[in-house]
Amino acid sequence: MTATIERPLRRWAAPAGVVAGVLLGALPAHGQAQALSPRNASYTIEARLDPASRIIEGRQTLVWRNISNRPARELRFHLYWNAWKDNRSTWMRERRLAGDTPLSRRPDRDRSSIDVTTVRLLDPSGGEVDLSASQRFVLTDAGHADDQTVMAVPLVTPVAPGETVTLDLGWTARVPRTFARTGAIGNYFFIAQWFPKIGVLEDAGWNVHQFHAATEFYADFGVYDVRLTVPSGWTVGATGRELEQQPNTDSTTTHRYYAEDVHDFAWTTSPDYVEHVARFDGAPGGGLTPVEIRLLLQPEHAGQEARHFDATRAALRWYGEWFGPYPYDHLTVVDPAWQSGAGGMEYPTLFTAGTRWLAPEGVTQPESVTIHEAGHQWWYGIVASNEVEHAWMDEGLTTFSTARVVEQAYTPNYFVQRFFGTFIPWVQRDIALSRATVGNRLGTFRPASRSEAQATPTYLGFPGTISRISYDKTALWLHTLERWLGWPVVQRVLRTHYERSKFAHPTPEQFFAVANEVSGRDLTPFFDQVFRSSNAFDYGVDGLFSVSAGGRAGDGAYRTELIVRRYGEAVFPVDVLVIFEDDRQVRERWDGQARWRRFTYEHAARVRSAIVDPDRTLLLDVNYANNSRTLAPRADEAATKWSSKWLVWLQDLMLTWAFLV
Amino acid sequence: MLEAFVTGLRRVLAAPAILIGVYLATLGAALPFALVLRASLEDHLGASLMAEDAASGVNWDWWQEFSAQATGLERTFTPAIIGFAAPLSNLSAFVDRTGQPAAVIAAAAGYGALWLFLWGGILDRYARARRLGAPAFFAACAVFFFRFLRLAVMAGALYWVILGPAHEWLFETAYDRLTQDVTVERVGFAWRLGLYAVLGLALAAVNLLVDYAKIRAVVEDRRSMIGALLAGARFIVRRPSGAAGLYLLDALLLAGVLALYAVGAPGAGGGGLAVWWTLLVGQAYVLARLFVRLTFAATQICFFQQHLAHAGYAGFSAPAWPESPAVEAIVRGARRTTAGARATAE
Repeated sequence: MTATIERPLRRWAAPAGVVAGVLLGALPAHGQAQALSPRNASYTIEARLDPASRIIEGRQTLVWRNISNRPARELRFHLYWNAWKDNRSTWMRERRLAGDTPLSRRPDRDRSSIDVTTVRLLDPSGGEVDLSASQRFVLTDAGHADDQTVMAVPLVTPVAPGETVTLDLGWTARVPRTFARTGAIGNYFFIAQWFPKIGVLEDAGWNVHQFHAATEFYADFGVYDVRLTVPSGWTVGATGRELEQQPNTDSTTTHRYYAEDVHDFAWTTSPDYVEHVARFDGAPGGGLTPVEIRLLLQPEHAGQEARHFDATRAALRWYGEWFGPYPYDHLTVVDPAWQSGAGGMEYPTLFTAGTRWLAPEGVTQPESVTIHEAGHQWWYGIVASNEVEHAWMDEGLTTFSTARVVEQAYTPNYFVQRFFGTFIPWVQRDIALSRATVGNRLGTFRPASRSEAQATPTYLGFPGTISRISYDKTALWLHTLERWLGWPVVQRVLRTHYERSKFAHPTPEQFFAVANEVSGRDLTPFFDQVFRSSNAFDYGVDGLFSVSAGGRAGDGAYRTELIVRRYGEAVFPVDVLVIFEDDRQVRERWDGQARWRRFTYEHAARVRSAIVDPDRTLLLDVNYANNSRTLAPRADEAATKWSSKWLVWLQDLMLTWAFLV
Repeated sequence: MLEAFVTGLRRVLAAPAILIGVYLATLGAALPFALVLRASLEDHLGASLMAEDAASGVNWDWWQEFSAQATGLERTFTPAIIGFAAPLSNLSAFVDRTGQPAAVIAAAAGYGALWLFLWGGILDRYARARRLGAPAFFAACAVFFFRFLRLAVMAGALYWVILGPAHEWLFETAYDRLTQDVTVERVGFAWRLGLYAVLGLALAAVNLLVDYAKIRAVVEDRRSMIGALLAGARFIVRRPSGAAGLYLLDALLLAGVLALYAVGAPGAGGGGLAVWWTLLVGQAYVLARLFVRLTFAATQICFFQQHLAHAGYAGFSAPAWPESPAVEAIVRGARRTTAGARATAE
């Protein structure tokens, strides 16, 4: 971290509070009577997009209140778009670590940048102090000296806790060809992380990280009043509600959007969108408020609007019932253009879904991504955890929640493969996908299971595997908890977490405390395994046999021995089920601590099979095939069946290639 | 052209031994690999209860677990093997040049070499349109194998250009440029279809050329494969609509077989008899594909004979096999007896 340069500057802090009051008072009275959030970072932005040059000229007034318990000697801003200025940024270097090289070959015209041209501290009496010359880039994380994604502006005098300052910033940004779901292609623009955004000042200091390849965002709540000028006739979608449209004399139109109690603002514009509006009327049992759903659909996806709306309604209903009601009365769903790379991303009151031209029924595209991004309205939008350090708190909870809603609303759903450049889908209706393993992404977690402890701050995780730990592992351990403690308990945990942390920045420890409190158990040993270690779970049956017990009759005719083992380092209590040939079943409880354990039985019949964790409570077990053993195996039958299918596949492949001979 | 098509079909039907032979060769070439995979699957399932579901239906959890540790041949054990997804995925992998494990490439290469060997006998049989017996069939195979090997080198070079640099240019450079700023998926797909058509036409052109080169080599007993290629090209150039039309007709037959399989291909199915029924349908499909492949050859031979030879003509002479020593002794004895009788008569 670079040391802060401090210079004696004039003190504006106290009077600035008055400015804040004036500015916020000038905002329209469209919003909530009562603030839901601290609203300590509020923006008034005016931005003009020139689609031809892909330049955005912007000017913003930021009213920022120090809600920490320490004075702020400088202000720190994210300049995310400088991450794609060249290949020397932290983002680009980390992206290469994950093996993604095409982005680094992007020509200059497809790259982005943001230049802050003016920084002025406003005086409530009308005066101002120009701080433009004092702005500088700072390195908040180790390494990558050329990174320019964090800007520091030293203040005249520290802003004391509770005080407010107002800044006026002018800036110019170049829209890239899409990087990280923001950018443009043709006439399609999706604009996110696009303005100088102030970081979060915590009691420990500024929590402002350089932009990392595998991380998302962290910001304070506020009120956004944004005027966007785009060519007339272009549709605009954005965070918040549109208040007005003002045609200009130069064939442009200014759209004014307004949002309260949000911590980010994203928008999109294109002349091609087809707009649809529907309504969520709440759940049958009541308790949820109506929401207007606005869908901006690509023309080629005409006919899929009902699928988007149904999925969004399912999300609003189930998340609302399980965790707490959606607090806004509007939600915008954006169907991104093909090749835009903007699909599947969440922003407050707006998200991008993602579908295909050929989207067969029975396959949850666009439903899964719609439900996932809608879920982020709860786990990110409202419960605003620090995504840079604890991505699992939003991505993991959302992945778990998504799988649950998909199971609730879209069972069965099937496996699909795409052929011919991924254009042609082929649905395998023999393969119904399960929430437990597919929804929670066990398949992608398995190879990364030992890669990293989840407690590792996300931005320090290996870019190639950290998302597997954030998304998949969390979903799997939450579902494991659900199977272990029951859904009512886990639901109460999540509902309490939501209730206590909405419009705030919860930490992992706060979540764990809620889990302990609500479940009435000390779950620390469990969180030690799944959160604080990178150990893998793998229980299995190592030996199973029955022998005649020396000619004795009756109950003691056969002696059965079962050896179960803990192959992985991680520990979890598991059940063991033993089934005998006379259908008698014995269920044992094993604390799973020791490396192995022997169970011995004397019974009238021989053993048929044994299973460790028969209910598959422990979804994190990376090798479930070894969890069971039977003395009448059908492996040869299964192998014959599947290898005979593979034989036809190989014959067909050989015939296809031999056609050339 | 139609007459050649019908006659060709008849010739294929009249020589069921060839169809059965190439089917057995196809089965024999693939079976060892299938047995290797079978052993891997059985080994992974072991005595696990997961085999129950895998045997009676699909156990997708186990499948994913198997895939996670799969190497080599095992990596091809994907849902693409189920039903019609198999031909679809293979065709897609072919035109998209999707990589395959070395073992699969080896299997395909070995199978290609087998066809290279068999083509001489197959073409000779269809050209003569009469039964010749196994010795003559394999003699033709042996005679033409090395000629066709030389032809395969030249054909291979052409295919390499098409599937190598040309494919790369079409589907990476050109496709990327054409669709760089396209935001409508249908437009992107249209471009891709167009490029598939270009690729398909190029492959079909070389395939047609090589087919007629082989036919001219056999029917006219040509030894120079460069000459055969040039002669094949001359033949096509002078009868472009007939040659292309017949090729299209054969291709339609192939499309018909694929369409039938698309409708009738069994899915994952259950256990027991369903396994064997699925295998039977799969083998019937393979047999039909082989029938179509042979039909391509037979109809093209008929088309060629209609124009530059006559039905049943083949320049390559059937080999005269040396008799066994016993027969020679009998013949010699008979000659001596005849000579003695003549001398006595004189």
